[in-house]
Amino acid sequence: MSELSTTSRPILEMRHISKRFDATQALDDVSLTLYPGEVHALIGENGAGKSTLIKIMTGVHQPDSGVILLDGAPVRIHNSQEAQTLGIAAIYQEPMVFPDLNVAENIFISHRNRGAFVNWGKLHRDAEAILAQLDVRLDVRMPARGLTLAAQQAVEIARAISLNVRVLIMDEPTASLSAHEVNQLFRIIESLRSKGVAILFIGHRMEEVFRVADRITVLRDGRVISSRLRAAPEELDAQRELMIREMVGREVSEFFAKSAVPRGKLLMSVRNLGKEGVFSGVTFDIYEGEVLGFAGLIGARRTDVGLALFGIEPADQGEILFEGRPVQIKSPDHALKLGIAYVTEDRRGLGLTLPMSIASNITLPSLRRYLSALGLVRRKEEQRTAESYRERLMIRTPSVNLEVAKLSGGNQQKVMLSKWLNTQPRLLILDEPTRGIDVRAKAEVHHIISDLAAQGLGIILISSDLPEVLAMSDRVLVMREGRQMGVFSRDEATQERVIMAAMGQELSSNGQVQSSLTTQAVEL
Amino acid sequence: MNELRRRFQPEQIRELVLIGLILALALFFSTQIENYLHPRTFTRISTSVAVVAIVAVGQTLVILTRNIDLSVGSIVGFTAYATGTMLAANNDLPPLAVVLMAVGMGAAMGALNGVLVAYGRVPAIIVTLGTLAIYRTLLVEFSGAKSVLTSELPRWLVNLPPLNAFSIGAVEIRLLFLIALIVVIAFQILVTYMTWGRRLYAIGSNPEAARVAGFPAQRMVFTAFLLSGALAGLAGFVFLARFGNITVVAGQGIELKSVAAAVVGGVNINGGIGSPFGAFLGALLIDIIDNSLIRWLAISEFWRNALLGLMILLAVATDTVVMNRLRKAWVRHELQTSSASLSVEQGGARHAT
Repeated sequence: MSELSTTSRPILEMRHISKRFDATQALDDVSLTLYPGEVHALIGENGAGKSTLIKIMTGVHQPDSGVILLDGAPVRIHNSQEAQTLGIAAIYQEPMVFPDLNVAENIFISHRNRGAFVNWGKLHRDAEAILAQLDVRLDVRMPARGLTLAAQQAVEIARAISLNVRVLIMDEPTASLSAHEVNQLFRIIESLRSKGVAILFIGHRMEEVFRVADRITVLRDGRVISSRLRAAPEELDAQRELMIREMVGREVSEFFAKSAVPRGKLLMSVRNLGKEGVFSGVTFDIYEGEVLGFAGLIGARRTDVGLALFGIEPADQGEILFEGRPVQIKSPDHALKLGIAYVTEDRRGLGLTLPMSIASNITLPSLRRYLSALGLVRRKEEQRTAESYRERLMIRTPSVNLEVAKLSGGNQQKVMLSKWLNTQPRLLILDEPTRGIDVRAKAEVHHIISDLAAQGLGIILISSDLPEVLAMSDRVLVMREGRQMGVFSRDEATQERVIMAAMGQELSSNGQVQSSLTTQAVEL
Repeated sequence: MNELRRRFQPEQIRELVLIGLILALALFFSTQIENYLHPRTFTRISTSVAVVAIVAVGQTLVILTRNIDLSVGSIVGFTAYATGTMLAANNDLPPLAVVLMAVGMGAAMGALNGVLVAYGRVPAIIVTLGTLAIYRTLLVEFSGAKSVLTSELPRWLVNLPPLNAFSIGAVEIRLLFLIALIVVIAFQILVTYMTWGRRLYAIGSNPEAARVAGFPAQRMVFTAFLLSGALAGLAGFVFLARFGNITVVAGQGIELKSVAAAVVGGVNINGGIGSPFGAFLGALLIDIIDNSLIRWLAISEFWRNALLGLMILLAVATDTVVMNRLRKAWVRHELQTSSASLSVEQGGARHAT
C-alpha cells in the first residue's frame, strides 16, 4: 500500500499552514500530504493542534498563512459546504446523524441533485447500493435512533461516499466503540482505501493507530515533529515507542504502575450482590490503600455494579458490609454519607456541569460545607478549595473561574476527580477515568490514583484499558455479561488469564484467544 | 400481525388512535346530547376548527425545527382587523387581493420572527413572546380601540361562512373548512414527499448536525417562521369572514390552541416528529371536546382554557411514556426481524436480503 501511495499523486496538500488564536500559536508551519488510498494517522496530545488542522481542512477556520492544494491547484475553503463540494468530509467521535429520519434519508439528506420530491423507492434502493459498496448490511428503513454507535458511523461514512468524498477525516472514530465495532470500522476503512479515498485518521489508542495507518504524523505544540511510513511488523514496537516519545516530548512510559502500599483495614465486603436482569453474584472485599480493578468486555455490566454501590441504581440482591456494618445503599446521598464516591465515565453528560466554573463544579456535591450562617455560599472558601485541587492534581487552567467546557478532556477529568475527592470519600469508584484523554494526562491520572491509595483510600477502578487495569490494580475482578468470573491477585493477573475469563470458555476453547489478544488488548 | 407492526410506525399508530378517539367521543356525546349526530353538528365544528387547523399547520412546521411560534394569536388578530378595516373602507376590493394581503401581512410578521430566530440566534420562545405582545399592541394602536363591524363589510364576505363547497349526502363541506383541508393536505405532502419538508425533520432531529450537513438549515428555519406567519395571516382572513365583528382582542389564545393542537396531534415539542395531518386531528379533537362540553355541561368559558392546558399536559405525558415505549418496541422488532444491526461482511459484497 505504501509503495502505491508514494508513486501516485497527492489529493490534498497542506503547505506551511500557520494559525494563531490570541496568545496561542495553534499551528506553526504545518505541512501534511494526503494520498489516494492511504490512511494517514495524525497523533498528538490534546492541544497539539489536531482539531485546528481539521477545522482548517473543513473550512471552519481560515489559515493565517500557507496554502491548501487540491489535485495540485490552490483552493480556499470557506465553510463546511464548500469542503463538501470539494470532496472533503469529516466524521467525529459522536456521529452526526438525524435520529428521527431513517437510514436512507440520513445518507441523502444533503444531496442537491435529487429533485424537490422524494422518490421513496429509489431513495431506499440507492441507499442499499451505497451500503453494499461498503459491505455494510443495514435496514435502510430503520430510524437512525435505534442504531448502535458503530452503525451510525457507518451511515455517516455512507453519506460521505454518496457525496463522492475523496478525503475523509475521521476524528477519534473509535473512542466510543467496542472492540468488535472497531474491527467493523476498520473493515469499512479497508474498503474505502481500495476505492482510493484518502483518509486522515486521528486516534488516541496507539495500538489502533499502528494497526490501521500507512503513514503516521506526530503533531506537538502546533508543529509537525515527524512523519513516517509504518514500519515493518518486527520494528513496529520500537517505532511506536519512539513516536509516543515524540508526542510527549519527554520519556514517559505509556503506563504507570501503582506503587506498593501496605494493605490497611478492611473497608467494604460485598457478598453476592445482584440486580434482577442486570448482574448477579458479585463478591469481593476491598481494603484501605488497595486498588481493585474491574475488567471485562463491553456489556460486562461493570458500570452497573458501580452505579449500585453508589446507590444510583440500587442492587436488589446480596449484602454489603461497610466497615463491618451491614448497609443498604439506596441513594447517592446515602453513599456519600458512608464515604463512597463515584466518578462517572460519562464526563460531559453526567459528570460535569459544563457551563459552570471549575470552582463551582468542584464544590457542587459538598456545597453544604461552604454555606455561611445566612445560607449563602462563601465564595472565598470555594476558591481556596479549587486552588488547592488545581495545584494538587495539576489542573492546567488560567483560572479556577474558567468554564469547565473550555478545558481539555484530561483537565475536565481532573476537575471531576477533585469534585468527588472533596466529598472526602473512603472508597472511590473510578469509571473509565482515562478514556479519551491524552497520554500525558493519562500518566498524571495514574499518579493521582497511586497517591490516593497511598493515603489510605480504597479504590475501585473500572477500566476497558487492560494494560491500565493490570498496571494499576492490586487485584483484578473480571466480569462477563453480568457475572463475576473471578478475582485475580496482581501476580496471577496476566493478560491471557484476564482475557480468557472476560470472554468465557467458548472462545478460549477454539484457539481464538491468541488473535483476540492483539485486537482486544486496548479495548478490553 | 408482524406485517401490521411493520406497516404502521409509532407515529401512524398515534394518528389511528386519535381517529379512534374522535369517533369514540362523537359516539359518547351522541348518547348524552340530543340530536348530536346531526349534520349541523359537523358543520358547526368544521367551521370552528378551520381557523385553528390552519394556524396549527404553520405551528407544526415551526415546532418540527425545534422552535415555537407564540406570536400567531396576534398575527391572526392583526390581519383580521387590518383586512377588515380596509374592506370596510373600500367594499369593492377584489376578494383574491384581500386574501393575498392577509397572507402577505402575516408572512411579513412571520419573517421578522424568522430573522430574529434563525439569523439573530435569539431563542424562539423569547422572540415570539415578544412579538406576540408587540403585534397585539400595534393592532390596538392601529385600531384606536374601535371595532370592525359586520355591517360595514361587503356582502360576499358576510356570505362566505355558510357557503357550501360540496355536500356528501346531508353533510355539507363549507368553503372555509375546505380551505383548511387543502392547507393540511398540501403541507402534509410537503413534509412527506418533498426534500425541503424532510430536511425540516432533520433540523429538529439534530440541529447541530443540520448546521454542518450542507443544506441551508438557517434559511429553512427562517422560511418555517415565514410560512407560519403567512398561514396565520390566512387564518386571520378566515377569522374575519367567520366572525365579522373584530375587536382588539381578536385571535387571543390561538397561540395556545395551535400549540395544543400540534402537541395533542403528536408533534414532538423537541422537534423532528409529527405531521400537519396529526396537528389537524389534534385541532379536531380539541374542538369536539370544547364544543360538545359546552352543550353537554354548559361549562364556563374559563374552564375551557384549563381543559386545553390539561390536554396539552396529557398529550405530552403520553408522548413521553407511551410513545417512547412504542418507538423502542418498534425499533427492537425491526432489529429482530430484519437483522438490522450493523454487520460488515468480510469478503465479497453479498447483499442484504
